[in-house]
Amino acid sequence: MAKFNVLDHNLVPEHHIVSEEEEKEILKELNIDKEFLPKISPNDPAIKALEAVHGKIKEGTIIKIVRKSPTMGHSVYYRVVASEVFK
Amino acid sequence: MASLLWRDTSKNIVAISEKVPVNYAVDFDVPAGIEDGYITINRKNFSYHVVISGVRSYSPDVEAIAKKKNGLKSIITIEKIEKIEPISVMEFQSNGKTLDTVAGFEIGERQLTEIKEKYGESLSEDVQAVINDTKALGFSLPESVAEEIARHRSEWGEKAYKNILKRIGEEIDNELIDPYEAVGIIAAQSIGEPGTQMTMRTFHFAGVREMNVTLGLPRLIEIVDARRIPSTPSMTIYLKPEYETNDEVVMDVVKRLENTSISDVADIITDIGELTVTVKPDPRKTKDRLIEMEDIMNAINRIKGITVMEDSNQIIIKPQQESFKKLYLLQEQIKGLTIKGINGIKRAIARVEGKEHRWVIYTQGSNLKDVLEVDEVDPTRTYTNDIVEIANVLGIEAARNAILNEALRTLQEQGLNVDVRHLMLVADMMTFSGTVRAVGRTGISGRKSSVLARAAFEITTKHLLRAGIMGEVDKLAGVAENIIVGQPITLGTGAVDIIYKGYPKTKK
Repeated sequence: MAKFNVLDHNLVPEHHIVSEEEEKEILKELNIDKEFLPKISPNDPAIKALEAVHGKIKEGTIIKIVRKSPTMGHSVYYRVVASEVFK
Repeated sequence: MASLLWRDTSKNIVAISEKVPVNYAVDFDVPAGIEDGYITINRKNFSYHVVISGVRSYSPDVEAIAKKKNGLKSIITIEKIEKIEPISVMEFQSNGKTLDTVAGFEIGERQLTEIKEKYGESLSEDVQAVINDTKALGFSLPESVAEEIARHRSEWGEKAYKNILKRIGEEIDNELIDPYEAVGIIAAQSIGEPGTQMTMRTFHFAGVREMNVTLGLPRLIEIVDARRIPSTPSMTIYLKPEYETNDEVVMDVVKRLENTSISDVADIITDIGELTVTVKPDPRKTKDRLIEMEDIMNAINRIKGITVMEDSNQIIIKPQQESFKKLYLLQEQIKGLTIKGINGIKRAIARVEGKEHRWVIYTQGSNLKDVLEVDEVDPTRTYTNDIVEIANVLGIEAARNAILNEALRTLQEQGLNVDVRHLMLVADMMTFSGTVRAVGRTGISGRKSSVLARAAFEITTKHLLRAGIMGEVDKLAGVAENIIVGQPITLGTGAVDIIYKGYPKTKK
């Protein structure tokens, strides 16, 4: 059996890497600085699974997460890859 | 696309890199059509990638670097060699089997993990159409509601359908939370009030001994506190669909999961006078756990530096070196010796669920990482109630979903209906930093940016003293600090400023 990809697990929502052009649009739409977005660790298993496909993911990359939401079908959430924790 | 995989010495790699393009003779029948290869030095990770431009059978006339002197079979022409980020050999498959180590030559295929786009995939077209229509009106619906609308769409007629969607949109608009509303306080109250009615009851699986799960208020506290290890870790293991109804496979998996150590099935007696350790298997316990004498012997034989004597119903073990220290160490080692099973899984029980006679395995104790690697287990559905473990194995987003599911289930089991939105807020706050944080002094509340807010919560002196030493600045942006200094709080109308622009002067 090939190594299990955590992104296939029912609990794990879709993770997508956001390109730099999209990133600007998102930050503009949310009217927020990147550092105020929720964080995701670069060592997170989901990020590691993404890296297996896309190669190394730099810190500061925004990850778009499409969650299945009980209240609105699908909801989009953003996390920024950062190893530091919030103060 | 298949690639050639092999292990090589760093010396050879240097030789290859210096002379590229180069002929390389190998003692392996390389099939035609191989275009690239990976080289490992340590048998575990591939750290070089080569481009192969030609394969031919070996002849001594062609000048080539050789890995070995005898038994050469093929010559490959290496066009290019490059150092790459190490790739684990586990990512490659050879003849349908995942590779463990690479020593000689092998033909393998890299199994690239693909990301599935699940979004909207499971929805039928008419449901998707409803969702698209609602998006056009500027709101979103849960899938269940969209499905229901799609079902009734034809009997309503197009005009009524459009009207219903419009009304739903208006209704959602009315129910939206107001800007600057204190959602945290509302969530706290909405979870806290029903929480007072929770019982301290512990639920027992009827008829199954030694199996209980913390529920009710203690469990809710546990979730919110983000404990490293829950008081009753437990897993729900689903098997792959092809094994789910096969009784024999299920029983076999159960046996392989359950962790049994020698002290579970046998008495261990240490004789200081004779300098021996005696293992006396208890027939009742061994029968219960389906352990044979042979299994115990196999486990004991793994220990080195001992002499084993087998009696009719006991095993006498003597350390080869006669010393009390060795004897003591041996005794400790035997106590913890695993006969079989996965570490941490204390008990596994299979139950039939649903009409289709499908087996589900419940365990006491949890080890998500190792259980997911068992071949028969369906890794996409298998679940544990240990949230920190989920965060470590599946990531922060999975942990967020787990917090939400666990908290919701705990409340619903007690017959309490708390709106999911409150729990979603809690789950999002707990996972905001990328790690699971507890609510409370050590977690979210203890890491607010405002000194006064922290001091007002718990351990006042510590925070004030520290703030004084560090010269911290309080921007008075939150609620607690503004109440302390006697200002209007930044919530609701207090959060908006009104600027009077006046009318532009009109010319007379």
